Amino acid sequence: MLPATRDLDPADADANPETESILVTAIEARGLVKTFGTLRAVDGVSFRVERGETYGLLGPNGAGKTSIMRMLAGLSPISGGELFLSGLNVAEHSRAVRARLGVVTQADGLDGELSVRQNLEVFGFLVGLSRRQARVRADEVLGFFRLGDRASSEVDELSGGMRRRLAIARALMGEPEVIILDEPSTGLDPESRIRVWEELAELKRADVTLLMSTHYMDEAETLCDRIAIMHSGRILDEGTPPELVSRHAGSAAMDIRPNGSSREAIRRELDAAALTYREVGALFRVTGGNGAPPRLPALEGVQITERAANLEDVFLALAGRGLQEDQA
Amino acid sequence: MTTATALVPETGFIRWRSVHAIWWRHLLALSRVWQVALTWFVIEPAVVLLAVALGIGQLVGEMEGFGTYAMFVAPGIVIGTAMFHAIFECSWSTFERIGQSYYETALTAPVTIHEIVFAELLFAVTRALISTVAVAGFAIAFGWIPLSALPGLMLVSVGVGTVFGGIGLLFAALSPSMHALSLVFTLVATPLYFFSGTFFPISVLPDWLQPVAWIAPLTPLVELARGMALADLGWVHVYCGLYVLGLTALLYPLAVRLMRRRLMK
Ligand SMILES: Nc1ncnc2c1ncn2[C@@H]1O[C@H](COP(=O)(O)OP(=O)(O)OP(=O)(O)O)[C@@H](O)[C@H]1O
Ligand SMILES: [Mg+2]
Repeated sequence: MLPATRDLDPADADANPETESILVTAIEARGLVKTFGTLRAVDGVSFRVERGETYGLLGPNGAGKTSIMRMLAGLSPISGGELFLSGLNVAEHSRAVRARLGVVTQADGLDGELSVRQNLEVFGFLVGLSRRQARVRADEVLGFFRLGDRASSEVDELSGGMRRRLAIARALMGEPEVIILDEPSTGLDPESRIRVWEELAELKRADVTLLMSTHYMDEAETLCDRIAIMHSGRILDEGTPPELVSRHAGSAAMDIRPNGSSREAIRRELDAAALTYREVGALFRVTGGNGAPPRLPALEGVQITERAANLEDVFLALAGRGLQEDQA
Repeated sequence: MTTATALVPETGFIRWRSVHAIWWRHLLALSRVWQVALTWFVIEPAVVLLAVALGIGQLVGEMEGFGTYAMFVAPGIVIGTAMFHAIFECSWSTFERIGQSYYETALTAPVTIHEIVFAELLFAVTRALISTVAVAGFAIAFGWIPLSALPGLMLVSVGVGTVFGGIGLLFAALSPSMHALSLVFTLVATPLYFFSGTFFPISVLPDWLQPVAWIAPLTPLVELARGMALADLGWVHVYCGLYVLGLTALLYPLAVRLMRRRLMK
């Protein structure tokens, strides 16, 4: 199979006395800080990603997701705290860290002056493969991402989805232990997204550790073992998707579409039933009920959709809370 | 990929593979547009050389100590053209590569800023060398430069590549926009091309301008090239050589610093 089935390097174990945790911990952040002038883009973040796990960073624009990933990739100096990859301190061993890491940045960073295949081969050579190894590996990843028939195309001729997949393919050239993906499917049509998901799921089956950011709840729910929900440089909560849902949104939820009835009347009714809700666009999203939410007989003409609570409800609850703290 | 890990030393020294790979990438990109590149390296300088040597040369006649005007001007044009290539590579092309996140991608591999700067300069040297061989080839064919001077001219072009590649990198790293970047041509390349003893000896300039011309970074390289072409080297060329080394020693760390500031945020 494609990605790293790399044996653990015993040198890793020597790098840190906490040998046991190294063998299972792929990424660890302790009180990580990133400042830009007076702005604390990452404000004391701690988390731990186990080997083979897919860990998602969720949060609104500017939450600090990209900043965390850039520090890990050595693209951005760490302002405070500590960051480890396979037990290696990123601040001290940035080069060794990057030799184990595949990175897909928010902008694909594809080389427009080279063909698709050359993009892969040149990068493979850069990470340390021989020219021949790079050729063989390029064929493998092109096949894996079903880009084989585009090998001699120019990058500019590719669709957005193909470009994204080529960027992921490039990150795999060096058979990394850990892959960082900054918004892997942003801007892709539904079919391309699902394709990317399938390919990422395949990597996951091969025991590659993935750290990804996303704005899509369905993506996080589908791919991530655990999720950190971020806001203003902090992690508000962390857990598996079902844990987060039951903690912050209960089990059942409903959406109310007013269809012309008075929004004020709906608010009164919801308050009377002591239900938590958020108004999102035309909808009232009602969460927090355990079991089926009660009927609201006084409401005429509205359309009520009962559904299972999901990550979106969690995100709205937590991000909303974060926003209120900001204003306080 | 355990091999990469083993091959990767920590910062402090240059990982040759990084330099080699970036250099190779640039060469590949250049070779993919070779038809256009051919006009830069051959047609354009040939036009300048022929116009100046044959046209202006007819008006100037013999130059004392240098032979014909064509023999005087040919080494200057060889070096001036090499300068344009080195500056262009490290300002314009580098700036574009910054904008297209090329270096950001390279830095996700086990590559340091040092190695990026080293590779950029190496490629500037490569372009300066290609240009020198092409332009000097013309002049040799016309008998304005002896064939035996070619290795010497190539050596001087290495200096042209590092010094002007370095200057190009400073502009690429500092320029907020393409407009600002174009200053490297209006403020640096064009004045130097004309006032560094390329088209006329510095001694014909007004007294107040002569010291300025001697400090200009292209002057020592033109002097060295002319010394090589005429097989007539003296103490002034020792000064020139040391000046070029000094400039390189100054520009390299400065370029690393400014590129780091530009690329690592
Ligand atoms: N180079 C920089 N200089 C100054 N501020 C920056 C820089 N890069 C990021 N920031 C700021 O840091 C904060 C966090 O940005 P970051 O890109 O990490 O957010 P993000 O969670 O990735 O957002 P998005 O979802 O929009 O990608 C933002 O307020 C951003 O404006
Ligand atoms: Mg981002």
